[in-house]
Amino acid sequence: MIASLLVVMLASEGVTTVGAVHAVGAALQQDPPAQATSGKKQKKKAKKLAADAPSPDEIDDPDSDGPPDIGGPGFGVVWKQHPSIRFGDAFRLDFEARLQEDAHGSYRGAPGLNCPNQVLPTTCLFQLHRNRVGVKGNFFKKIDYEVERELTEQELSDKDILLGYTPKSQWKDVNVNIKYMKKAQIQVGKFKVPFGLDELTSVSHNDFVYRSLGANYINPGRDIGGMVHGSYFKHGLTYAAGVFRHDGGNARSKKVQGGDQTVAARITAAPFRRVGLAGNIDVGTALTVSSLSDDPYLPNGLRGRTILTQDTFFQPVYVKGHRKRWEADVDWTAGPASARAEYTWVADGRVQQGLGDENLPDARARSWYVAGTWILTGERKRRPLRADGEFLQGGFGAVEVVGRYERLWFDSAGGTEVGTPSRTPRAANILPSGDRALTLGVNWALNRWIKLQFNGIREHVEDSQRNPISGGGAFWSQVTRLQLVL
Amino acid sequence: MSTRRDRLRTFAAIVVLGFGVAAPVVAQSPTPAPQPWDTFFDDTVVHEIRLAINSKDWQSLQIHYLDNTYYPSDFRWRDQVVRNVGIRSRGTGSRSGVKPGLRVDFNRYVTDQVFLGLKSFILRNQTQDASNMHERLSMLLFRRLGLPASREAHTKLYINNNYEGLYTIVESVDKTFLQETFDENDGYLYKYDYPSDAQPYYFEDRGSNPDTYVPLPFKPETHETDPRPEFIVQLVQAINQTGDAAFRMVMAEYLDLKKFVQHVAVENFVADNDGFLSDWGGMNNFYFYRFQNKKLFTFIAWDKSEAFKGGYEYSIFHNITNGPNASKNRLMTRALSYPDLYSAYLDALLDCARSAAEQATGVTDGPGWLEREVQREYEQIRDAARSDPQKLFTNDEFEQAVSALGAFARHRGDFVTAAVSAARAQR
Repeated sequence: MIASLLVVMLASEGVTTVGAVHAVGAALQQDPPAQATSGKKQKKKAKKLAADAPSPDEIDDPDSDGPPDIGGPGFGVVWKQHPSIRFGDAFRLDFEARLQEDAHGSYRGAPGLNCPNQVLPTTCLFQLHRNRVGVKGNFFKKIDYEVERELTEQELSDKDILLGYTPKSQWKDVNVNIKYMKKAQIQVGKFKVPFGLDELTSVSHNDFVYRSLGANYINPGRDIGGMVHGSYFKHGLTYAAGVFRHDGGNARSKKVQGGDQTVAARITAAPFRRVGLAGNIDVGTALTVSSLSDDPYLPNGLRGRTILTQDTFFQPVYVKGHRKRWEADVDWTAGPASARAEYTWVADGRVQQGLGDENLPDARARSWYVAGTWILTGERKRRPLRADGEFLQGGFGAVEVVGRYERLWFDSAGGTEVGTPSRTPRAANILPSGDRALTLGVNWALNRWIKLQFNGIREHVEDSQRNPISGGGAFWSQVTRLQLVL
Repeated sequence: MSTRRDRLRTFAAIVVLGFGVAAPVVAQSPTPAPQPWDTFFDDTVVHEIRLAINSKDWQSLQIHYLDNTYYPSDFRWRDQVVRNVGIRSRGTGSRSGVKPGLRVDFNRYVTDQVFLGLKSFILRNQTQDASNMHERLSMLLFRRLGLPASREAHTKLYINNNYEGLYTIVESVDKTFLQETFDENDGYLYKYDYPSDAQPYYFEDRGSNPDTYVPLPFKPETHETDPRPEFIVQLVQAINQTGDAAFRMVMAEYLDLKKFVQHVAVENFVADNDGFLSDWGGMNNFYFYRFQNKKLFTFIAWDKSEAFKGGYEYSIFHNITNGPNASKNRLMTRALSYPDLYSAYLDALLDCARSAAEQATGVTDGPGWLEREVQREYEQIRDAARSDPQKLFTNDEFEQAVSALGAFARHRGDFVTAAVSAARAQR
């Protein structure tokens, strides 16, 4: 199947035009708006692209720009970045697919490496990690829409649902974005809650095979809601604020219902853009407040798991009241290099959650990471990674080395004054438990569609009794990912 | 396989009660060191266990009683408190949202936490037994005859200081039990877990695929990540594929067949129709232990709630000779085809009868041990049973069930003895 896709993609290098539809070159479509600098023509193009600015859930996402429509009447089919159907300025429909297939390994018996649907635990070398297909486009360039579905998610059985397990939706992004007012666009549907730099970076654009621990387990993720967002000063200042039905899919699992109604806000700024410091620095911060119910009979708190092996090093605790999240992040790019850092803090209320129905101190989760990348082949850093010279097309592709160090940990407020630390889900003093991870890797973008990622991950679960390695030591995992994006 | 302690006890009982004159000798015999948990299973009293649990958790446990979710709790027995224990609903047919059976795990949330040396125990809710005594009486008989079985005692259970009913404390079959019983605990322990919607199983050959045996119906209780199912496959194939000439020699590697028929005989004596020769599912209610570094397995009795219900005239060949061949247990059928094992089965039944009829010291014409035990337990639990706010039976049903037990105790031995004689005469 993969070979067939390669053939199709190579064959589609040109543009197929039916009717009066035009497409501009790939180089132009990949330029972020802020990079268009000189000349009337370029300014005009930059203005054009700025009008097609990425939504907050796809920060700095050139993929979502697509080739600007030149306009004109008539129906046409284009395949440049995506196969696309267009009807002048009135309608656009792009078909997209993102396939990620992994080969992975870690310590013997790691639960995250088990093959699905086996009676006895059996390790699988290969995994179909993501297979997403979708469409996106717009009406009259004023109303964007997007629908994306995951094909590999396992649906729950009736028995699971009877047991109180929460189904995981196969629908990912399903939303419309109304942009009659550029500075106050309105997005409605299912999309990412505006929180967390790493979480908001598209999974196919990420520098690492897996997002950071904090993004995966304590950031909200996608949910159904409405949001107003916009930007000022040519993206020098962006904002997003919305209300969502729940607090995102990351807080939910098969057994955890997660938070309820959530309000969220995020703001980013490029404060040094005009100062002339080396490269671009964006800073951001976000907060969410969610109501937390103890209606589910299973603990409704956050859960901590290791990255690839999926060992649970922190089981959810019983919570009730409000979940408050706050994060701050910084994102720096300069030439072929980039660096990112992010800190996230979450506090869950525990009203009447003691054994005697008494109130307990807040349960806390915190995470941070620092990450850096360097493109060895010299291209300017952007996400997704793009090669100046594509592999087998006169170039070698783009090769980038990456590194990230991070920590995610859980505990409770109040310290030892409220009791002896314990692992029970109703402990007044939650025994701290965390995971530290170092990820080193190489990314090789062969062309616009194919990327290979190699990551080695060293993890150390801090609580020796929750550490999957006897003796409480660190362990390495390895993963190679083949990514195809259409 | 019995414990050294049980063998000594049995021997001592026979000597003391049978001959009366050997008491000084027994008194001088080395006795096993007392275990720290002995007082917890002291069956001369009705205990009192108190659990403190979040009120919503108790409601959830009752509503979701079919689920195995653990809830945190503080445990109190006498003046001893163990914090952060885990409790969950348990049982198969006995599961109840009104009066949940409970498993209490001391090390669920605190690794290596124990109570008097125990990692866990069971609180049996007796929802299938109006007398509340079937389980305890049965296990006592197993132990009197030197067969491995849990120790039990009755207890009043309080949840958040509210009396929730009369329960039975049941010793868990776990590594602690294995160590005490077999002087080792690193073998492979399985619980025979018969799903209610599964086809009945009679130890027939399901082929060489280990998945058809483990994790169901043989659910690993130790070595869960590497349960070595191939030895169960070998055992089943030995039962089904070995020729008559080699059967005993081959099986000796896997099972002590005399102990096996003795296990079935005790189940039969107490008229348990939900044991190894179950009326439901072919086989049910036993643990299966493979000794460390050996292929040898042994049976451990479990859940005798359905015992005694068949009445004292329960056939000694129930589910052995009756019924179609397809629903006869392959192992039992083959074992009893050998005259010495057939005789051992009948002898074991007579041992049960003798044990049940055993007179109290100094008495020659009084009630037997089983009848006395029924009366002793009844007097112990009567008030707690009658005031049980969650019981599933009326007080009249309780009294009738106790009367039926008394009748069983009085007549079962004679019936079995006569049936054994008849069987031998026919042979």
